[in-house]
Amino acid sequence: MRECRIVSQKFDIYQSHKLDIAKEHGAYSSLKDAFALSPHEIVEIIKLSGLRGKGGGGAPAGAKWALMPQDGAQTSYLAVNCDESEPGTFKDRQIISKDPHLLLEGIIITCYAIRSHSAYIYIRGEYSQFAKILQEAIDEAYGAGILGADVMGLGYGVDVTIHRGAGAYICGEKSAMLESLEGKRGHPRLKPKRPEPEWYFGNPTLVNNVETITTVPYIIKHGANGYRAYGTEQSPGTLLFAISGHINKPGVYEAEFGTPMMEYINRYGGGIRGGKKLKAVIPGGASTAVLTAAEAECAILDYEHMRTIGSALGTGGMIVMDEDTDMVEALKNLLEFYHHESCGQCTPCREGTGWSDTLLGRVLDGKGSNEDIDKILELAKTMDGQTICVFAPAVAIVIRAFIGKFRDEFEARVNR
Amino acid sequence: MSQIEIVIDEKKYAAQEGLLLIDLLIREGLKVPYFCYHEALGADGNCRMCMVEIEGQKRPQIACDTNIKEGMIVRTKGQMIESVRRRILELELINHPVDCAICDQAGECKLQDFYMDYGLYDSKIDQAEKVHHKKHIDLGSNVMLDQERCVLCARCTRFTSDITKTHELGIVGRGDHARVTTMPGKKLDNPYAMNVVDLCPVGALTSKDFRFAQRVWFLTSTPSVCHGCAKGCNIFIDHNKEKYKDERIYRFRPRPNADVNGYFICDAGRLSYKELQENRQLEMLIDGMVSKEDEAVACYHKLVADGGKIVILADANLYTEELEAIQKYAHILGAQLCAPLESYRDESFGDDWLKSSQRAANAKGVEKLGIAQILSTDPVALLINFNHPDGSKIKAQKSIHLQTHQMEGKADLVLPLAPFSESSGTLVNEDGIEQFCPKAIWRNEPLMSAIEWIDLLQGGER
Amino acid sequence: MSFVFSEENLAKIEALKLRYPSPAALSLPCLWMAQYQDGHISLEAIEVIGELIGTPPMEIYRVATFYTMFHLEPIGKYHFQLCKTLSCALCGKAEVLEHLIQRLGIRPGESSDDGKFALSQVECLGSCGTAPVMQMNDLYYENLTPEKIDAILESLEGEHR
Ligand SMILES: Cc1cc2nc3c(=O)[nH]c(=O)nc-3n(C[C@H](O)[C@H](O)[C@H](O)COP(=O)(O)O)c2cc1C
Ligand code: SF4
Ligand code: SF4
Ligand code: SF4
Ligand code: FES
Ligand code: FES
Repeated sequence: MRECRIVSQKFDIYQSHKLDIAKEHGAYSSLKDAFALSPHEIVEIIKLSGLRGKGGGGAPAGAKWALMPQDGAQTSYLAVNCDESEPGTFKDRQIISKDPHLLLEGIIITCYAIRSHSAYIYIRGEYSQFAKILQEAIDEAYGAGILGADVMGLGYGVDVTIHRGAGAYICGEKSAMLESLEGKRGHPRLKPKRPEPEWYFGNPTLVNNVETITTVPYIIKHGANGYRAYGTEQSPGTLLFAISGHINKPGVYEAEFGTPMMEYINRYGGGIRGGKKLKAVIPGGASTAVLTAAEAECAILDYEHMRTIGSALGTGGMIVMDEDTDMVEALKNLLEFYHHESCGQCTPCREGTGWSDTLLGRVLDGKGSNEDIDKILELAKTMDGQTICVFAPAVAIVIRAFIGKFRDEFEARVNR
Repeated sequence: MSQIEIVIDEKKYAAQEGLLLIDLLIREGLKVPYFCYHEALGADGNCRMCMVEIEGQKRPQIACDTNIKEGMIVRTKGQMIESVRRRILELELINHPVDCAICDQAGECKLQDFYMDYGLYDSKIDQAEKVHHKKHIDLGSNVMLDQERCVLCARCTRFTSDITKTHELGIVGRGDHARVTTMPGKKLDNPYAMNVVDLCPVGALTSKDFRFAQRVWFLTSTPSVCHGCAKGCNIFIDHNKEKYKDERIYRFRPRPNADVNGYFICDAGRLSYKELQENRQLEMLIDGMVSKEDEAVACYHKLVADGGKIVILADANLYTEELEAIQKYAHILGAQLCAPLESYRDESFGDDWLKSSQRAANAKGVEKLGIAQILSTDPVALLINFNHPDGSKIKAQKSIHLQTHQMEGKADLVLPLAPFSESSGTLVNEDGIEQFCPKAIWRNEPLMSAIEWIDLLQGGER
Repeated sequence: MSFVFSEENLAKIEALKLRYPSPAALSLPCLWMAQYQDGHISLEAIEVIGELIGTPPMEIYRVATFYTMFHLEPIGKYHFQLCKTLSCALCGKAEVLEHLIQRLGIRPGESSDDGKFALSQVECLGSCGTAPVMQMNDLYYENLTPEKIDAILESLEGEHR
C-alpha cells in the first residue's frame, strides 16, 4: 500500500488553511498552467484522467463537465456540494478546514473550464465552524486578488459564495441542493430523461463534490497520467476514505482505489477496537449495503469490485462493527435516520421510511412477528425504483442487506 | 408536433407527439389511478400512483412525467404493475383514518375508488402507531381541512401558489410530519378559494357549505352555465329530489371548459345556487293578493288594453331565445323594449381572471340582438318588466312584473318566472361564446319561462 | 411584537443580493440572521424576510419548517445537540446522553425552565471519526465522555458568573 497525498497533501501542515502558508506549499501554482489551456482542453484532460465524482455516485466528472454549454453565451454556475451528511462520511470537512485554498484553486479552474464566473459552496448548516475557516480563506483569496474580477491578473473573473444549509440530509442530493440554493425547501426535482446539466434559476449548472473539485489542481499539474498513476484502470486515482465505529484509529486517510478493505482497516484504522472480531462493515456511507466480515475480507476498495460483491463504494466512509454489535439495533438506528430525513415529497418514501421504522421498533420491543420482518422487506420493494430521487431506493438497499445477511438476529427478536 | 401512434394495452391510439401520457390515458378513459396530477396544475410527480409499464424501461414509469413517443408500448394492466400500485396505495392509506363511513367525500374520493379497485386493504396498523394530525381545521372561505385524510398531493397548495398566486396554503414540515396548513393566524382568503375542495382528490378538504348536506351518490348533475356574471363559467348543477318534496340544488361545481373557465369558478358564482332557492316568487299576485292563473291573465289583458305608452324591460340574464321572444312580442304590442346593461355593472366584482364587472350573464346576447339599453325616464302608462332589477326606476302608472324573486315595491300584477335553472336556452358570454344550458330543475308545479308566458298571453289574445 | 433586522444584518443582506441571480435565494441566509438575532424565528421575522426578498411569507414559512436547525419557538440558550446516528451510537453515545439528561435535568426535546439549556438528539453530524459528537450552539465537541460533559458545563458556569 503506497502512501498517496493528492487531496490531503497539506493536511498535516500547521495552519495550512492560511493563505501564506498554503502558498509556501504550492497553493494556486496550477492556475498559470490551467489558464494557458483552453477550457475545452481542460475538460479533455479531466476526461482522460478518469476522475470520478467523489460525492458517492462515482460518475465520470469529465463527461458531466462536457454537458455544460461550450459557447459561454449563457450564464452558468458551479455549485460545490459540501452537504456531507451521509452517515460515516466526514472527509469534505477535512478539506474545507485544513486545505481550503486547494478547493478554491480547483473551483477557479473548474469555473474557467465550464465558462462560469460564479461558484457556490453549499455547506451543511451544522458545519458552521468549518464554514468560518473556509470563509476566512475566501476573504484572504479576495484580498490577494486570487478571487474576484480578475483572478491573479489572468483576465478571468471568479466569485465564490458560501451558502449554508440548515439541517437536511436530502440537500446533498444535487437537485435538492439547488432548490435549497434557490431559497426553497430541499425537494429533489423530477429527473430529466436524457443527460443534461443541472439548472440553477434556469441556468445550466455543474454540481460536483468538494473532493472532486479539490482533485482538479493535481490533475492539471501532473496531467491525466499523473492521476492515473494511482488507482485502477476504471477507478483511477485516490479517495479520502474515512473509517469510524469500532476501530482503533478512526479518521480520514487518503488511499488509492484498489486498496483491499482489510488492509485499509488494519493499516490506517489500526484494527478492530479492543481486539474484538469483526462482524460487519458498511463500506461507503450508511446508504451502501452492509458487508459481513467474510465479504469484507475479500472486498477491494474500488467502484467495480464493490459492485461485484453486491454493494457500492459510495462515499468511502466505512462504518466498522465488531462481534458484539446488535444488528437489529444498528438497522433501527439507520431507519430512524432515514425516517427523519425523508423530504416527504413522494408517498412511497414518506410513508415507507416511517412505517419500516415503526415496524422494526415493534420487533425491537419484542412485540413483532415474522410477518413484520417480511412486511419491512416488502416496504423495501415499494421504496425501490418508484420515487423521485434515489433516497428511498437506498433505504431499500440498507434494509435488504441487513435483514438478508443477518436474518437470524432479527428472527431471534421475534421468537423470544 | 406530428401525429403519432402508440400502443396501450395492446390497442393502438393516435395522438400528438410529446403529449403527456397521462393526458392521453385520461382522454381515452383508461383507468390509471392518480392523485397529484391535474390538467390545470400540471405534473408534480409526488403521489407515484400513475405508474405504467413502458416497454424498454427497466422500471415502471409515472405517466404524468412521460411524453409519448412514436412506437411507445405501454401497459396499464397486468400483475406486475398492479402489484406496484397496490403497494403504493397501501402506503397512502397507512396514516389515513379510513373513515369513509363518515367522510363527506365518500363517493367522490379517489382513494376510496382505488382501494375498492385494488382489493380491500387489510389494516394491521395500530391506531396508536399512526402519525396523528389535526382534524376539523377551519381554513376560511368555507373550506374545512382534515389533515389526517390528506395524501399530500399538493394540488391545493399549487392552486394558491400557481393559479391564484395568493399563497395562503402550503405544505410545511418534513417527512411524515409534512402537512397542509395556512400561516398561523392567517386564513384561506381569495375569491376562488373553494376550488381547492374540488381539487382535493380525497376528503381532506371539504366545503362547509356542502358538509354533511347530501351524500354525493344521491345527486344528479346537470351541465349549465353560471349566471353570476358575463363570463359564463361552465358548471354542473348538482341537485336531488326527495320524495314528496320539490327538487333542491345542493351545489354548483365547475365544469371544465378550456375556452371559458378552464377548470375553475369563483366562490361568488359557486354559492349563487343559494339564490335559486331563497326568496323566490312562486305565486301570482294582483295588487299584492294571491290569485289564480285565469284571474291573472284577465288582469294582464285588461292592463295592456287600457292603452297608452308601454315600456318593456328585459333582464340581461334571460336566455337569447327568451330575449328574442320578448323582442318580437314588444314589436307586436308596439311597446318600447330596453334592457339597460349599466344596471348590472359592479366594478368591485371584476378581476383580471374570471370575474367580470358586467354581472349580467347574457349582456352580450342583449347587445347582439340590438336591444336598446337606455332607461327611459319619461312617464309611461304601463311597464312590463321581465325580471330586470331596475324596474322601479321607470315612472309608470301601472306595472306588470314577471319575476323570479320577490321584489320590494308595489306592482299591479306579479307573475312568477322560471329562473335559468328551470328553463333552457342559450347565453352569449362576454367573449362572444354561445353556450346552451339545458333545463336542470323540474318542479312539481313548474313555473313558466318568458317564452311560455308570452305564448300563453298571446294565445289568450287570439 | 415586531421584528427588525439590525443595521448590520440589513447591510449584509443587501451585499448578498449582489451575489445571487435572484433575491429569492436569500431565504436561508436571512432565516439564519433572524435566528442569530432573536434566538428563534418569529412569524414577524418571516413576514419581514418575505418583504425583503420578494417571496410570499408562506414560502419562507415552508422553508423554515423544513430544516431542522431552524427554531420557530424560543429554545434554551445553550443547545446541546447530541448525535444519535450509527457511529456515535456504536461508540458510546448512550452513556453521554444519560449523563446529559442527568446533569441538565431535561430530556431530549426539552428546554430547561430557566431558559438556559436545551437538549436534542440529532442525526449524523459528519464527524463520525471522533464519535460520540455533539454540537453546542455553533461548536462541535468531539470524542465525548461524561467527564468531558462535566468540563463543558463547568466552563459554561464560569461564563455565567
Ligand atoms: C440522498 C442523497 C444524498 C447525497 N448527499 C451528498 C452529499 O452530502 N455530498 C455530495 O457531494 N453528494 C451527495 N449526493 C450526491 C449528489 O447528488 C451528486 O451526485 C454529487 O454531489 C455530484 O458530485 P460528484 O459527481 O462530484 O460526486 C447525494 C445524493 C443523494 C441521492
Ligand atoms: S424519495 Fe424520499 S427524499 Fe427523495 S424525493 Fe421522494 S420523499 Fe423526497
Ligand atoms: S388537502 Fe387535499 S388537495 Fe391538499 S394536499 Fe391534501 S390531499 Fe392534496
Ligand atoms: S366568474 Fe362569473 S360566471 Fe364565473 S363563476 Fe364567478 S360569477 Fe359565475
Ligand atoms: S399523478 Fe403521476 S405521480 Fe401523481
Ligand atoms: S454518526 Fe455521529 S457524527 Fe456521524
